Amino acid sequence: MRFHIEVERPERCIGCYSCVYACSRHLYGTLDPTRVAVFVRVNKSLENPFSVVACRFCTRPECVLACPQGALEILPEGGVTLTASKCAGCKNFDCIAACKLGALTLDRRTKVPVICDRCGDCAKFCPHDVFRYEEMKA
Amino acid sequence: MTLRQVLHIDLAQKESHVDDRPELFDTYLGGAGVASKLLEEECPPRVDPFSPEAPVIFAIGPLTGLLPSIVKTVAMFKSPLTGNLGESHCGGHFATALRFSGLGAVVVKGAADVPSLLRIEDSNVGVEAASSLWGLSPLQVEKALRSPNPLGMESVASIGIAGENGIYYSGMITDRYHHFGRLGLGAVMGGKKLKAIKIHGTGDIPLERPIEFKDFYEEIHRRVVQTEEMRKYHDLGTPVNVMMLNEMGALPTKNFTQSRFEKAEGISGERFLEALLERKISCPGCPVGCIHLGGLRTGFNPEHELGRREAFEELELVPYNYEPIFALGSNLGIGDASSVLRLIGQCERLGMDAIMTGSVLAWLTEAVEKNVIRQQEIGDLQPRWGDAHTYSQIIENIALMKNQFYKRLALGTSAAAEKYGGKDFAVSIAKNSPAGYATGYGFAVGTLVAARHSHLSNMGYSIDQKTVKSNLLLEQIVEKIADEEDWLYVYYSLVGCYFARGVYDEETIIKALDLIGLPKTGKELRNLGNEIFQRLYRFKVREGFNLAKEEIPKRMTEIETPYGRLDPRRLREMVQHYIRLRERQGLHLRREDEALTELLSTTAET
Repeated sequence: MRFHIEVERPERCIGCYSCVYACSRHLYGTLDPTRVAVFVRVNKSLENPFSVVACRFCTRPECVLACPQGALEILPEGGVTLTASKCAGCKNFDCIAACKLGALTLDRRTKVPVICDRCGDCAKFCPHDVFRYEEMKA
Repeated sequence: MTLRQVLHIDLAQKESHVDDRPELFDTYLGGAGVASKLLEEECPPRVDPFSPEAPVIFAIGPLTGLLPSIVKTVAMFKSPLTGNLGESHCGGHFATALRFSGLGAVVVKGAADVPSLLRIEDSNVGVEAASSLWGLSPLQVEKALRSPNPLGMESVASIGIAGENGIYYSGMITDRYHHFGRLGLGAVMGGKKLKAIKIHGTGDIPLERPIEFKDFYEEIHRRVVQTEEMRKYHDLGTPVNVMMLNEMGALPTKNFTQSRFEKAEGISGERFLEALLERKISCPGCPVGCIHLGGLRTGFNPEHELGRREAFEELELVPYNYEPIFALGSNLGIGDASSVLRLIGQCERLGMDAIMTGSVLAWLTEAVEKNVIRQQEIGDLQPRWGDAHTYSQIIENIALMKNQFYKRLALGTSAAAEKYGGKDFAVSIAKNSPAGYATGYGFAVGTLVAARHSHLSNMGYSIDQKTVKSNLLLEQIVEKIADEEDWLYVYYSLVGCYFARGVYDEETIIKALDLIGLPKTGKELRNLGNEIFQRLYRFKVREGFNLAKEEIPKRMTEIETPYGRLDPRRLREMVQHYIRLRERQGLHLRREDEALTELLSTTAET
């Protein structure tokens, strides 16, 4: 089952990182907030509202346009897919710098970007309805 | 993966090393268990709390970061306030940042020669000069030290001016809104010239059985978020207690002279919610959001804004919960929520424990009323119930230790009464100021016998509330208190948040530990809890604590509780019963030399 997910109300975020931890458990079966596809960011102080960032499934994604290897491809429903074998060997990671939103990060172990697979766990575990999500039709 | 690494810091030499201690964490889990063992190893007998030799120990547990609400760090140290065991628990990002650095505990010893910052970034550790931070509030320090966009988890902890000046009840504030509040960790840090600690962890915690773990996490997450078990904490938060205790007649008011406050509604959880609540935040890994932030609005200068009031009000967010509201509200006769929030905000900026600050002010107000303190000592600052403005000026003077009088107040209620008199109304238990519950025998005795003299040690206040209805015998209350404290030391070794204790029952903890490859039986866990308690008490006895000689303050036997007034004789009997119970478990509650002296003197009399 795949979901359309949107960070709709980031101002509601309480900084519990439930989305981040859920993403890590889902993608890698571990707890590692550096290897995730959703981010809770502190803006210099806990006094300031958190930033919540996740892939927006762009139809003309700058990460794809920036990839010289052709490792990232646009999906018809928006968003991207990664062919890891094509990505391997890239040392520039232009894709990560290209995303203006900062929604892409590097998996430091495998040296490929972490791609959201639309499992919806971030939204399911959020206790404050930061995300809007709905099941995608097959 | 379980924990195994203990980081040792020598502030004087600016050196550090890591000890690999898997057996320590396998046996004692982490948190309070590991910290109690490290305290025993590292703290020289009868050491001055401000001596470089006195250690500060931080410890987290094997489930830290892994499960909802297991988010706290335990600190142990020698308390300047009590001259004995210092133990304080703190939320925020501190615990998870340590965990992702791969560390289970940190031992800080020595003293720096200049104001310093301890930086822990995964395996890179350093002690750096930080004079530019000295004198700043914890909020300013947080903003100065936090990275713009860090990978992993980052935490910034620091002391305020009160800690720098050695106020005996100053704390350490982490990540802006969380506190190692009680028993004077701030002063100990200040003595070591350690202004701040920054931790940045980018590691991971592999899961041995990820699929089972995921299901288990989901079940606990559901219980925390969707069931009634923790509703209190994410709705009104702990300030819900204000009206509840007021209706029961258990809300300490005006230095524990009354157990109902005529202006309780003005400082109720409902009032704070309607008038002041701006946001709620959480610790990483806890979906509850119990940290309630109230908006403190301060005017700058109307002239700049053509007289438009709303445009020139700056907004500062101040965390509030029940204890500071009692301590700086009802117990000072202040019935206005924004005045209470202002005083809490001041304690935040200075880095002072709100409960003890309130206790000192309450005692002072009564001492002035009763002419125990001469006019020349207090000068123009005449404290009166409800006068938040004057209280604020006194707090400032204490933090700055303005003169001999305020220096004395900076040592706590008990020390102030010792010098000036007014012991009968100095509300202090084993030199710590009790929390805000005039619920009855369980609270008073529970706070006295607890290793860290906290209501969170053994739930005496909660046992009281159930007992009034069910008519438990006083002996049964004592037994429950002892059982609860042992069990909570298991939970505090994990280190779970007190608010989630109901979710983590014995069965849940056993399952959780099994999932991370640390199987324990219920009996083993209970024995461990008792062992940790006993170790801490042995430390207390060694450092001069004698439970048999401690007394419940007279004032706490004068206030009306749901049981009526507490009978001093019955309180003594309960403590005696507790001593016998613990001695049957093999714990010696007096130092051998003291016990011997006492034995010899009784023999001589007979």
